[in-house]
Amino acid sequence: MGTITEPERRSALPGPIGQNGVVPPRSTAHRQGRPARLLSAVFQPIGDEGRASLVERRIADAIRGGVLHAGEKLPSEQELAQTFGVAPATVREALLSLRSRGLLVTRRGRGGGSFVADSADPMAFTTEALLATTRVSLRDAATHYLAITRACVELAARRADPSEVELIRARVHRAHGGDLRMWRRIVDDAVIELAALSQSARLTREQMRLQAELSPFFALIDQDEAEQRRRLEAMDSILNAVAEADASRAGNLVADAVAHDVTWLIDHRAELEAQ
Amino acid sequence: MTMHAPPATGSPSTIVADYFGQAIDELESWKAKFSDDLAAARARGPVTTDTLDALVAPYALSTFDALDLPVYGSGFIASLNSLADASSHLAWWQGADRAQLVLAAQSVNKEAIDYSELEWYRVPHETGEAHVAGPYVDYLCSDEYTITIASPIFLDREFVGVAGLDLLIDQVERDLTPRLAPHGSDISIVNGVGRVLLSTSPHRETGDSIRGAELASLTRTACPGMALEVVSG
Repeated sequence: MGTITEPERRSALPGPIGQNGVVPPRSTAHRQGRPARLLSAVFQPIGDEGRASLVERRIADAIRGGVLHAGEKLPSEQELAQTFGVAPATVREALLSLRSRGLLVTRRGRGGGSFVADSADPMAFTTEALLATTRVSLRDAATHYLAITRACVELAARRADPSEVELIRARVHRAHGGDLRMWRRIVDDAVIELAALSQSARLTREQMRLQAELSPFFALIDQDEAEQRRRLEAMDSILNAVAEADASRAGNLVADAVAHDVTWLIDHRAELEAQ
Repeated sequence: MTMHAPPATGSPSTIVADYFGQAIDELESWKAKFSDDLAAARARGPVTTDTLDALVAPYALSTFDALDLPVYGSGFIASLNSLADASSHLAWWQGADRAQLVLAAQSVNKEAIDYSELEWYRVPHETGEAHVAGPYVDYLCSDEYTITIASPIFLDREFVGVAGLDLLIDQVERDLTPRLAPHGSDISIVNGVGRVLLSTSPHRETGDSIRGAELASLTRTACPGMALEVVSG
């Protein structure tokens, strides 16, 4: 979709970034972007010929996506250099640029270091991204998301044991009514767990990537309490269908949910544009 | 008709029990020594994630070579809220380069990972016994279709975590299917919720379920020491 990030094509998968945007074979420590673990994607090695701009983009994406939170302290330059697999000077260059963009601030002295700016507001960034994207792009993202998520859920309906589904349901209900960040985290995790019940590693990996990509937009929607309740009810219906091994009903419910979300986003975008 | 006959030597259920039994035995043996190390560390004060990593590393790394099994990952997962500086922690090594798994949520912002309901943690915790978990898509560590063998550790009757190792289903299929094939063309290994681990029949896929009336109509033999059974048509 490329709308939350800079216009340049970013690599299709989080993980080591090679030259020319070519994605090298997955490293064994590769982690896919589950929001609770999206951070892992941020801190994967960048590659031997990593450039400051790649480091910068990784961190910027994480801040804009709300994965790194406002006021959060970054690891030290040394630690970042080690984690990304680049020279400390490269990290320093990236951090400098992020500071000048207002995404990071430096504090000196004890407990000092680089911190995500207090003003960094993922909702504001996501709203920006929503305005910057097009209806066509949004719909295509939703199409992709639906195709994969629906496939996972339909397989899960055929393959999951009801006891496995109930564990997911209980967790989602416990999170409802809590703070938005926690709610979104639990819902994202629940969708991925449901996808994993498909027994397909490929589809699950793809679904995790898409969930991470679209999660900030879902969070925008869930700021509205009524929408949060609607999402809980939709989740319940989908889990019921899966527990009852009704693949086509489960798939249709997923389609309905995605259709609702993308319509909300497009309407919201139109409202914002009108202002 | 269901039958739980004791397995004959060289029978499919013995082959399966021996295969995964090796992993259980290996975990049980390092568990004993590691428990002593961990108990000693706890006696010195609350244990940190760094201390735990240092304690686990030699045992985890030795597991890769100790077995004639395609071990993909190994380590120890602490019980929730048992460490000084984190409410959850996986001390885990995996992959061809046996790299330590770094879940950035652990190292960067100390966000808790709630693995309490995952099969490889939940079942050993509840039963107090080693468990062969899966097959499942492991979205936490390997991102692959995995079998995790896990054994719980208790110190003074307090649950402190599980020692575990991962096998990839791919490798298990390569190892076990040829050994089972001579015994029949419809032999399947099935787990506690009826999920097929692997089968000599091309009509039963890993990940499919055999449940209810269908399962009841097949010959079933328990694999001793684990919640797996061999079913044959």
